[in-house]
This record gives sequence, structure tokens and C-alpha cells, in this order.
Amino acid sequence: MNAAPGGVGWLLRHELRLAWFNAAGGKEGAGKRRPGNAAGGKEGAGKRRPGNAAIALALAGWAALHLLAWVTVENTAAVAGDDPRILLAIAAMVAAGATFMLSSAIKSSVLVLFERSDLDLLLSSPLPSHSIFAVRLAGVAASTAAIYLFFLAPFAHAGLLQGQWRWLGIYPGVISVAVLCSCLAMLLTLGLVRVLGARRTRVVAQVIGALAGALLVIASQLQSLSSGPTQGRMREMLGDLLRQDGVADNPLLLPARAILGEPLPMLLLAGAAAVVFVLTARRTHRFFAQGLQLAASATRTRAAPAAARRHRFGRSLFKAVVVKEWRLIVRDPHLLSQVLLQLLFLLPLFFIMFKRSDVQVQAVGAGLALLCSSLTGALAWVALSAEDAPDLLLVSPASLRTVRRAKLAAAIMPVLAVVAAPLLWLSVRMPAAGLAICIVVCGAVAGAGLIVFWCGRPGLRSNFKGRGKGGFVMNMLEMFNSLAWGALGWGLAGAMRGALSNEGWLGILGGSALAVIVLGTGWLLRVKRS
Amino acid sequence: MDDTRPALRLAGLRKDFGRPAVDGLGLVVRRGEFYALLGPNGAGKTTTLRLVTGLLAPDAGSIEVLGIDLAGAPAAAKARIAYLPDEPMLYGKLKPFEYLEFVAGLWGVRADAAEARARELLDWLDLSPHAHELTEGFSRGMKQKLALAGALVHDPELLILDEPLTGLDAAAARQVKDLLLAHVAKGGTVILTTHILEVAERLAQRIGIIRQGRLIAEGTLEELRARTRGGSLEDVFLQLTATP
Repeated sequence: MNAAPGGVGWLLRHELRLAWFNAAGGKEGAGKRRPGNAAGGKEGAGKRRPGNAAIALALAGWAALHLLAWVTVENTAAVAGDDPRILLAIAAMVAAGATFMLSSAIKSSVLVLFERSDLDLLLSSPLPSHSIFAVRLAGVAASTAAIYLFFLAPFAHAGLLQGQWRWLGIYPGVISVAVLCSCLAMLLTLGLVRVLGARRTRVVAQVIGALAGALLVIASQLQSLSSGPTQGRMREMLGDLLRQDGVADNPLLLPARAILGEPLPMLLLAGAAAVVFVLTARRTHRFFAQGLQLAASATRTRAAPAAARRHRFGRSLFKAVVVKEWRLIVRDPHLLSQVLLQLLFLLPLFFIMFKRSDVQVQAVGAGLALLCSSLTGALAWVALSAEDAPDLLLVSPASLRTVRRAKLAAAIMPVLAVVAAPLLWLSVRMPAAGLAICIVVCGAVAGAGLIVFWCGRPGLRSNFKGRGKGGFVMNMLEMFNSLAWGALGWGLAGAMRGALSNEGWLGILGGSALAVIVLGTGWLLRVKRS
Repeated sequence: MDDTRPALRLAGLRKDFGRPAVDGLGLVVRRGEFYALLGPNGAGKTTTLRLVTGLLAPDAGSIEVLGIDLAGAPAAAKARIAYLPDEPMLYGKLKPFEYLEFVAGLWGVRADAAEARARELLDWLDLSPHAHELTEGFSRGMKQKLALAGALVHDPELLILDEPLTGLDAAAARQVKDLLLAHVAKGGTVILTTHILEVAERLAQRIGIIRQGRLIAEGTLEELRARTRGGSLEDVFLQLTATP
């Protein structure tokens, strides 16, 4: 590989350096906020090199991982690598990891092919265009594999030092799976961009990643979510599967066997990755030669529908703000998926509580309070803190207080609308408990909204996942608000059903006190706004 | 309200960001005037406009908009002005009419008047065919034109624009310029900053040049020429802003 300037090696080094900077920047639009441009935050804005402290921290973590790996490798020396149970477990982990790899590789593909805007420069240079796409694909694969190698390579190193060679399979195994996922991601990206455009493809990738994460959490809770007989049936099915002849030779287990260091599967997997890599690089080149880039970057204009509804003005300022906030949320599938997916993570907890029939109403009370508080906090942050055009509001004569109250209402109303049906059902079936839970839900929603109203600091919608880093105090208050109302929901619903234990009364009193303290603290710490 | 009072009066305006960005600026813009504020990069033009629109609070000095003290009655002053920054203040997930309805709501414009004005502006700026598209897919020029429509939807008396023609193609730039001239012809006031000196030369009735936050020259193009014995506005500008 030619490492001289203009050679493939040189280009690969450049590509890896960009990937390294990109990994450090992480968040979109993390840089200085420019009024009005938040919605179109281009990838690359605010990117910076990793700081020395971050590098030192990562190295320290890596050293600690080596210690952990050393102990693990030592303790598993006697475990046979071809045990079907081990193979199945590793295969499940590979499948989960591959889903995340696919998601991040699609995002990287969209970035390097359509958003970095340097392809024209490279393609106009004397570098062979095939090499450019091969290097770009290699860069995507490298950035995809890097995080997994960071966590898994210490096991390979420990295996090498302890003479357990099978652990060395981690390197070719992880790299091959990353290459295969990157190739699939690149091809998917090319197809999706043609149909959806670059921006929506990116959203698809993010939704895949978020769904994979949520499903993983739910899958990890399957055991506790299932009833006793279901658990027994699942164990039986797994046992049957493991007892079948030749289960270890199933081709689906090939990546697992490669990672566990079996030479032939390792060779087959690496060979397959190499072939797919070459074919994908060629395919990508052909797509671009056919003008895909221009097609993707062209403004997608849609002719006005023939019978388009005439837009009628006529809303008050309050209503206009509420409707605007709802439109901005509903039309942003990525944001919406992130808001809703955080609820998915709470569902296992809710089901676990709901499984016990003796505490069902209490579980509903606590679960609804937690869900509503969390959802309101998220929506309130989007509406109040992540305003796309703050300067527009500031230069207008509109009362900031009215605008902010409308935004708070925009965050609260959908949550109450969503829980209205279950609350109504509950109130009809168990009026006293239903009423108590209604009060608790309203309290949780109002508390979560007011905390953001008082303590929220400006952020970017594109940084929804990182909103926690922007305000430690607000996040603590939100968490304690959820806990307080959750405890109140549990306690009050229980109290309406009959005699309550001392612990139950303690929960009610403690929850009430905490809810008041949280709101009081939020009010005292409120951000002064001019 | 006294209509003889200037559209904008700045006196001893000061804003410091570690170093003075605006340093004792005094300026008067008359009603119905097209005024261009010029200066090299970092001269304090944008800071001045952000102070005038209430986005920044001055460290010292006073700002009077159409006879209203901005510090004393900000809402009354803001109701009569519009600001178009260099980066359009838009929402990518809104369609043009939805955006204009929201802006009209912020300025408290009556619904029927706002709707008619929005249709007129979108037609004038050739944005009606795109009325059913989200603005996130718009080109830079279309975004700038929509932002201008937003600035004009409440029919402001004083229009303040920061580099309004940057990135526009010739046709879009012509549309924007025509709209600004029409605004002045109707009795409105326009204050704009630009690096395109030909724009100031052709449109502005008076030109103010600032450097290091201070007004160093002001007058009509002829007055500035006479002062420097220069030729074009570019010559005048370069002479006046040359570092001593």
C-alpha cells in the first residue's frame, strides 16, 4: 500500500484521522450555537480533536479492562469452546452487536458519502476513483469495528499472554463482522438515499439503532417478564435445540466459531468479508459514476397538490405556539422516535410490577406516574429548551411569558391525552383508586413540566440524547420528581384499596415531601429570563 | 406619536465583549430613509443591529426606535421593527404559510390581514409554488426570501437587515432589492449592513461607515466622495477604513 502523498495508504490515513476526530466530536452541532441554523445542523459542526484528558481516561479504562480480561480468561480456561451453549450465547451477542454495527455504519456511510462534502475534491484529484471508494468503505469498517475492539481486544491480549490462542479469534472475527456490516450498510445507504434522500436515510439509521437498543433491553428482561410456565417452555425449547445433532455446525454459528478461534470458520468469515468488501467498493463506485450524489443532493421539490387545502390564519398567539410545537415534533421522526423509545425502556419495569396481581393497581399508579413524568420532561425539553429560532422570539414584541406557557402546554397536553383513556377506564372500574391515580398523574406531569420551565437551559433538538449533560440539576430534579410521584402513585392507589402497611404510609408521606421539595428547589433554582 | 422623530437614534452606545465591540456609537436614521451601515469585518455592525433589536443589552448609551426608548418600552418598540439576520430564523419542519402565521401571531397581526399579506409576499417572492413544502428542503435563497417575508408580514415601519443578499442568485437578489425599495417608497425605513458595496451605492440614500465600534463617516455617497476625494464607494470605503 502506497503511503506517499496521493497514494492509497496516505488516503486511508487521512480517512482514519477524520474518523478519529469525528468520534471525539460525537454530537451534532455541539459547537457554538448560531441562531436559526439549528434545524439544518450539518454533521461536522462543532467537531474537535479528542482532548488529552479524554484520551488519558480512555487509556486508563482500557488498562482496567485488561485486568478484567486477564481474570476472565484465566477462569474460563477449562470451558470448551465448542460447547453448543457457549456457541449459542456468543452467536446471540454477535447478532445484537451486528445490529448496532449496522446502525452506526449506515450513519457513517451517509456522513462520508453525502454529508462530508469532500468527495468532489477527491474525485477531481488524480487518485484512482476505485481506490477512493475502497478507502472510504475501509474507513467506515474501521470506525465501526473500533469500539467493539476497544472492549474485546483486551481478552485477545490476555489470551495471548496466557497461551490461550483461541481468544485471538476476536480480532479477525470482530473485524470481519464489522466489514460485512459496513458493506451491507453501504449498499443499504445507497439504496435508501436514492429513495428517501440523505437526511431521511440518516433518520432510518438512528431509528434502527434506537430500536435495537430498546429490543435488547426488553430481550434481557424476557426471563423476568415471562410467567413460570412460559419460562419452563423456553428452557425446554432451548434444551431441545442444544440436543440436536450437528447444532454446532449450523452455518449461522460460523461467526461465533470464528470469534472463538476455530481456524476454518475464521478463514471462511475473513474470506467472505474480503470478497464482499471488494464487490461493495465496486458497486459504490458504479452508483456514483451514475450520478447518485447529484440525485441525492438535489432539492426534493414536490408539486403543490391540485386540491391543496387553503391555509387559514386565525389562531391566537397561544394556539399558534402550541400548534407550531406539535408540528415540529410530529414532523421530526428521529426526535419523535427518541422521545417514544425512552418509554420503551420503562416498559419492562412496568410489566414486572404488573405481573403480581396483588399489587396491580399500585403498579399502574406508579407506572403511569413514571411514564408520564418522563414523557413530559422529554417533550418540555424539546418545546422549551430546544427552540430552533430563539432570536425570532426575542425580537418579537410577544410576551415571553405567554410564549413559554404555551410551550409548556404543548408539552403537557399530549401526555394527558395519551393517558386519558386508561385513567378513564380505571376510574370507572375503581373510582377511588382511579381518582387517586388521576391526581398523581397530573402532579407528575405538572412537576416534570415546571422543572424544565424553571430550570431548562437552551439546547439543540439534534442533541436530544445528550440533553442530560446540559443540566445536571434539572436532570436530578426530574428524576426525583418521577420517583416522588411514582411512590405516591403506588402508595395512594394501595391506600384506596384497603388498609395500608406502615411502609405504604411511609411511601406516601415520603413521596409527598419529596415532590414538594423538588418543586420548591426547582423554583428556587429557576433561571432568570429577561 | 411624534412622526418627526427619527426612525432610529443611538447615543453613546457601548457594548463590550472583553474588548469594545461598539464603542460610544451615535447615529441617527431618518424616517423613510434607506440607510446602509458599512464597515470591515469585526467593525461592530452586527452587534449594533443586535443591540437595536433588543437581542443584546447595551453596557451604556441609549436606543430610541421611532421615538420609543427601547429600554423603557421594549415591546412597543419591537412591535414596529423587523430584523432579518444573516442566518434566516426559520423552522425547518414548518411550511411557509405555517411559518408566516406563527410570525404574524408573535407580532399580534389580525388573522385576515396577516393571511392576505402572507399570500401577497409569497406571490411576490415566487414562493407560492413551494407553499406546501417544508422549509428544510429550501435552497439558501428561498430560505432568505421566506425570512424576508416573515420580516415584512407585520408591515414594520423600520426594517433592519444584516447582510440580506449574501448567497442569493441574481434573480433572488433583484427581488429582495425591489421589495426593500418598495418598502421605502411606502414610507418605511430600511437599515442594512452589506459587504457588497455596489448594493449600498445603488440603494442607500445615506451611508454610515463604522470601524472598531465607532462611526467614522456618514453622509450621502456624494458627501463621502467629497470628503475623501475618492471615486467609487469602494475607493471611499477603503480610504476611510484603512488602518492608520
